[in-house]
Amino acid sequence: MTNPIFWVGVLTLAAIYASLAMALNVESGWGGMWDLGIAGLLAAGSYCYVILTADPDLGMRFAPGLSMWVAWPLSALFTGLVAFAIGAPALRLRREYFLITTLAFAEIIRQLVVIQADFTRGTLGIPNINRPFDSFVTGRDYNYVLLVIAALAAAVMYLVTRQIGSSPFGRTLRAARDNEAVALALGKRVNRMRIQTFVLAGILIGATAPVYLFYIRAISPQLFAPGITFTVWTALVIGGLGSIRGGLAGAFVLIVFTEAVGLIEVDPAHINILVAIEPMLVGLLLVLVLRFRPDGLFSERDSFGSRRTQAERASGRAATASSRPTAAAQASD
Amino acid sequence: MDLVLTEVRKTFGGVVAVDDVSAVMPQDKVTALIGPNGAGKTTLFNAITGFDPPDRGSISFGDRRIDGLPPWRVAELGLIRTFQTPVGFTTLTVRESLLTAATPHFVETPVQALGLGRRARGHERASEARAEELTADLGMADLLDVRTDELSAGDRKLLEFARSLMAEPKMLLLDEPAAAVAPANIGRLSQLVRRLCDERGLGSLIIDHNLSFLMQIADEVHVLDRGALLASGPPSEIAANPDVMRVYLGEEQP
Ligand SMILES: Nc1ncnc2c1ncn2[C@@H]1O[C@H](COP(=O)(O)OP(=O)(O)OP(=O)(O)O)[C@@H](O)[C@H]1O
Ligand SMILES: [Mg+2]
Repeated sequence: MTNPIFWVGVLTLAAIYASLAMALNVESGWGGMWDLGIAGLLAAGSYCYVILTADPDLGMRFAPGLSMWVAWPLSALFTGLVAFAIGAPALRLRREYFLITTLAFAEIIRQLVVIQADFTRGTLGIPNINRPFDSFVTGRDYNYVLLVIAALAAAVMYLVTRQIGSSPFGRTLRAARDNEAVALALGKRVNRMRIQTFVLAGILIGATAPVYLFYIRAISPQLFAPGITFTVWTALVIGGLGSIRGGLAGAFVLIVFTEAVGLIEVDPAHINILVAIEPMLVGLLLVLVLRFRPDGLFSERDSFGSRRTQAERASGRAATASSRPTAAAQASD
Repeated sequence: MDLVLTEVRKTFGGVVAVDDVSAVMPQDKVTALIGPNGAGKTTLFNAITGFDPPDRGSISFGDRRIDGLPPWRVAELGLIRTFQTPVGFTTLTVRESLLTAATPHFVETPVQALGLGRRARGHERASEARAEELTADLGMADLLDVRTDELSAGDRKLLEFARSLMAEPKMLLLDEPAAAVAPANIGRLSQLVRRLCDERGLGSLIIDHNLSFLMQIADEVHVLDRGALLASGPPSEIAANPDVMRVYLGEEQP
């Protein structure tokens, strides 16, 4: 149907959302902290990156003109710092208040960007963001480079979050989410671990921000409206909150679906109707997925613990007596 | 090293749940805490473990004041409690729950989580072996990979107990460990509690309504009635105490 470049772009966007959804899963799926401030953290990371790398000719008050390879990790760290500033007070609140507070902080960040126009160029935005390998590959071919970068970022995010999820740290995080009192009674420093997790997720979101910028090429505060946060959440819920692969799968399903809806050919006079029903179709997709797979495409249950029992079942029902050594052997690998 | 309560008091509005209780629970003995429903036993546990600090009085463990400390700090000092309603870590398996309990906090850091540290692995393997041994002792070896929310109430009670042992306690505080547990497993439980005390000097403070279970294993019994200590002494003495019999008459479950 449409040209391949279009789908390269769709997959790039999907990989970016997948990275964000996997980062969100660390704090919300395993940490139980339902964060509605993704857009704010993404804005913090993006603006940090843009300011550090901006062309001094643009007339911004602070423009050190750093190399993107230096600015990238700095933006991730800066976003972690912002996450700490939000998390330290917000984590004192119970779940629903935490939710509202993170949403509010995200809006505050966006307003700060608008107000601090000396540093950010406010609503004017910043065009033509520098992209890696821009000078070697030009024109439409660059879309393939971008896809590779986004896919690599998503792959790294997958490996990192999988490592966190299956570590003792991740396990205790899930335990404290399930039952805070029991975790405390075992001596777990629940609050400290939650703040660490919130900051860690912030760093991961900040590390994704530059890839997002390479994709959109120009930055302005309107980009960081709460819509991004809800898209990331929808992707994670479709894929399976708390599962290791959920964010990855959910983002691809959601973004490809959404972009495909946009391709439906309608009479130009009715285009606004299509735009209006698009969110409804996304809602329908969500309802259908959750109707048939209440835990999402992948479930937390399949990601942890019970894997062993499945493996045991699969390895045949030898004598019952042999089931214990099997479990032990698998446990030590 | 003893757990010492001095005039501990806790009220909820007009209800005096714990009424100036003073007692010494030796760290290396099995102490029973009995009393009818609503006597204030669980409230006393909550006061000791920092979940619901007392209004007045002091609590110390060894040479440390522990009243006012947060729960995780009390636990770190070695006082590990279980809960009367055994909910547990709902989505974790028995194995994961036990490993979680056994994990020291230096293994639970983001740096270790990112795989940059090496200390976690050896620790994890040793804990796994302990978890398997312990579940075998409690007759629940076949449940290692079952999720907590799929266990029966009795098995969840046993898990509460096993979990607290994995945390390497200096003293256990068990809130009704035998409730809903199958009779055969109650025998295993009481043997284990007694053995831990005799062989390793790991004492416990145990609340339960199953008096025959408690009287068998306790070195000392405290009777709580409407918040106040009614009697203290060795099991034989308590069993013969007419006041205790009166408090329990008609209130003991069939
Ligand atoms: N959080 C609370 N708020 C108000 N009242 C409470 C609270 N916790 C306990 N109480 C009251 O304090 C008293 C003692 O309760 P507690 O749970 O300590 O009794 P218990 O001895 O553990 O009883 P049971 O054997 O039934 O577990 C009861 O009258 C109870 O209603
Ligand atoms: Mg009670």
